[in-house]
Amino acid sequence: MSIPQKLSLKPVGLAVPAFAILLAVFGIPMIRLFLTSLDAPAFSLANYEAFFRQGANVRVLFQTIEVSLVVTAICVIIGYPTAYLMASAPKNLRTALIVLVVIPYLTSLLVRTYAWIVILGDRGMVNNVLLELGLISSPLPLIYNRMAVYVGMVQIMLPLMILPLVTVMVSIDRSLVAAARSMGAQPSAAFWRVFFPLSLPGVRSGSLLVFVLCLGFYITPAALGGLRDAMLSTFIAAQVETSFNMARTATSAFILLGIAAVMLAIFGLDLAGTQGRAVRPMPESSWKPVRLLSAIKRFSNELAASYRAKRWNAKLYQASNIRRRTIARAVFVVSVMLFLLLPSVVVVIMSFSAGEFLTFPPPGISLKWYRSFFDDPSWTGAALTSVEIGVAVTILSTIVGTLAAYGLNRTSPKLRSILTLLLLAPITLPSIVVGISAYLGLLSFGLIGTKTGIALTHSLGAIAYVVVIVSATLASFDRRLEQAAMSMRAGPLQTFKRVTLPLIRPGIMGGALFAFLHSFDEVVKTSLVSGLSIRTLPLKMWENIRHEIDPTIAAVASLLVLLPVLWLAAIYVTWWRSRPSAEHALPDAAA
Amino acid sequence: MHIVEFQEPVQIEFRNITKLYGAVAAVNDLSLAVRRGEFLTILGPSGSGKTTTLMLLAGFVAPSKGDILIGGKSVAAVPSYRRDQGIVFQSYALFPHLTVRRNLEFPLEMRGMKPAERIKRVERILERVHLNDFGDRMPSQLSGGQQQRVALARALIADPPILLLDEPLGALDRSLREQMQVELKVLHKEFAITTVCVTHDQDEALTLSDRIVVMRDGRIEQIDAPEMLYDRPATRFVAKFLGEANILENPGFEIESDMVQPSGTVAMLRPERICVAPPASPKRADSHQRQSVIGTVADMIYAGPLRKYHVRVGSTPFVVREHVAAGQPVFRAGDEVRLEWLRSDVRFVSA
Repeated sequence: MSIPQKLSLKPVGLAVPAFAILLAVFGIPMIRLFLTSLDAPAFSLANYEAFFRQGANVRVLFQTIEVSLVVTAICVIIGYPTAYLMASAPKNLRTALIVLVVIPYLTSLLVRTYAWIVILGDRGMVNNVLLELGLISSPLPLIYNRMAVYVGMVQIMLPLMILPLVTVMVSIDRSLVAAARSMGAQPSAAFWRVFFPLSLPGVRSGSLLVFVLCLGFYITPAALGGLRDAMLSTFIAAQVETSFNMARTATSAFILLGIAAVMLAIFGLDLAGTQGRAVRPMPESSWKPVRLLSAIKRFSNELAASYRAKRWNAKLYQASNIRRRTIARAVFVVSVMLFLLLPSVVVVIMSFSAGEFLTFPPPGISLKWYRSFFDDPSWTGAALTSVEIGVAVTILSTIVGTLAAYGLNRTSPKLRSILTLLLLAPITLPSIVVGISAYLGLLSFGLIGTKTGIALTHSLGAIAYVVVIVSATLASFDRRLEQAAMSMRAGPLQTFKRVTLPLIRPGIMGGALFAFLHSFDEVVKTSLVSGLSIRTLPLKMWENIRHEIDPTIAAVASLLVLLPVLWLAAIYVTWWRSRPSAEHALPDAAA
Repeated sequence: MHIVEFQEPVQIEFRNITKLYGAVAAVNDLSLAVRRGEFLTILGPSGSGKTTTLMLLAGFVAPSKGDILIGGKSVAAVPSYRRDQGIVFQSYALFPHLTVRRNLEFPLEMRGMKPAERIKRVERILERVHLNDFGDRMPSQLSGGQQQRVALARALIADPPILLLDEPLGALDRSLREQMQVELKVLHKEFAITTVCVTHDQDEALTLSDRIVVMRDGRIEQIDAPEMLYDRPATRFVAKFLGEANILENPGFEIESDMVQPSGTVAMLRPERICVAPPASPKRADSHQRQSVIGTVADMIYAGPLRKYHVRVGSTPFVVREHVAAGQPVFRAGDEVRLEWLRSDVRFVSA
């Protein structure tokens, strides 16, 4: 092997720790799981046949697809006009609106699910308001049905639709629309013939993201849906709880994975031809797995695109053409924002309730639920455990993930995209599937029911987030700056410390944020690997949501609402400091 | 023109350098010697391997075959950060998170220079490039020309023996570019620094260089002083790449020349060497040294100080460039004209 070849292999080495964790906790058990589902070593499809022979299974399967499709469709219908209006808003307003979309996105899923129980419950906000107004005489059945599942899931998924859409729309040159108008196109024609086709990549990436994540949804349907609204994830979880029949569980898991993959391929292919985005031309291949793989690969890129959206500040584009916003438009955007923010607001109000039950609006104001939280060792203990695990996960995954992203950035594009795809699997695949493999993986290390085990499980997803975000930052990092440093006699380490690190720091901070929030909100995988002996905050909350629902959880939830806000502020400060500006440049900024 | 001191020793030497990307040779068996203090420009179209050549010299790219010597020592195994050179990047590569002053200090710091000495040097060079008041600005707060000067100052501040320029003026507008060309030339003389510059801009190459290397498909097409290169291009490629050229391939008339046309060559005439006159105008005194043909004007383009004629002689198209002067006849499309040129102005270039 020649010297340059050796050199080009070197950077990949930085991804070794990330892959070691991925393989040990997830990859190898995943393969074992797959073999189990095929009855290895005998190899048969008996388990899959058995799955499809049961009517109930097939019903759940179709229900999962149906719910995911409906949620995706609603998200497109609400998200597209919202994103359009956001993208055409003046810069400052747009930034503010993006922050308003990002905050609910970063808010704990459990908190938002809980909020919907408060809003839709029999004595919740909606019913109480309607009763008060005398419009109804007895509470409407708003919760524990399909409608509630849709409302909750749409609220949770909408930011994932809006953010990629805004990113794409902001990058569309508005003078193209003006050009179309100058050629005699009516405003609507200019929109449909020029703007809309150019915005399709955003529609596709948002839809793929929403759809695939919906397929694996567990918490929200389980909490807001009725018994008949089970999703495949809930179904698998029930299987795990009742009888840990490995073969059956593995089969259901791989069927879930299979749908995700097939849908990705269909969605990916369907829109690929029409949008004129020839950046990644896909070779016509009749060999399905190849198509599938490239579709999935593209999905990982889409995923990255949506996180890139978080780097909105860099991409803001001075809209020269400030449109006259009619009142109707403003009302629309305001109602979408209210819908997105309502759960957080309701939870905060609820936490100050003086009542004993989930009554909204609260009968009086008190701090007793905060007291009840801080006085109850089972709550504070769980919170401490979560902080402990969260900090460990953040440190581990930020270091390991940044190294991997840096290494992959310096690798050939082909190898890079395959390796990135693998690293992203833990956040792309349904968490119940990831949880089951993590359970198997940790079992062989004897780490079930340990904090180390939980931290490793959380790190799977956390590393993926760090890799995505740091990679996006590195992609826009000018490598010539490193060459410049090297030409001035800075060694590789000096170059990294003095030039690369300060410039990608906002990305690393963003990655750390996602890593921490991911760990701090993780229920499904944690419940599988905690072995009932360790109680994290989300586990405790989930238990409460399912069983007692006293407003203590509202106090916890409203504290959790603060978390993303604080993190965003922290990131903003680092970003602002690293921003080139004479007034703020500290003389020792790089030391 | 700055005359190369040929007694100066060789500073940089490429010995049979090949750089392969997969099966494609970006640089193919290239050998080249640059003398101390020389300003050498590598000129070529995109994809000709000129940037790869510079990157090889900078140490950012390792050669697949061959050796590079700097000051007589092989540097093939020396990483870029141990080579002593200043580089001006195409995009300037100023560190966006550091002030101008900190950018300029960087190379000094990396060489372990004491802070007091660093500050002195930075002040001196800031003054030299007329940026005294800009030391505390961030790069993003400077204009393109100012950024360019900071990049140049940063490359020169540590007194490296070699300066590498990658399309140094590419991002500037025309008038600024001309101004910087002068500045660059003065700085080169002042620092007496061996300079290798890569560009696709022929004006820049002709103005700045002691010698120009014209590259094509990873190989050297011709290497010569600017005047020689323009006046006596060796190949059709060089003739057409550097300025405009009338290639007279089967023109339909006999080409008269003082020389015998070597085989495998075609005749070439620069547009400004051709005179255009009314067909019946009296013959010049030196007409025995000239060849003249009759053609038809196809088009006339007025370009300020110049007038450019497209003339067809039979089926052969000619481009003629004429400086605008008082009393000159002006021809329009369809006019019949006589083209004439000195026989000694005909060049033969290899086809």
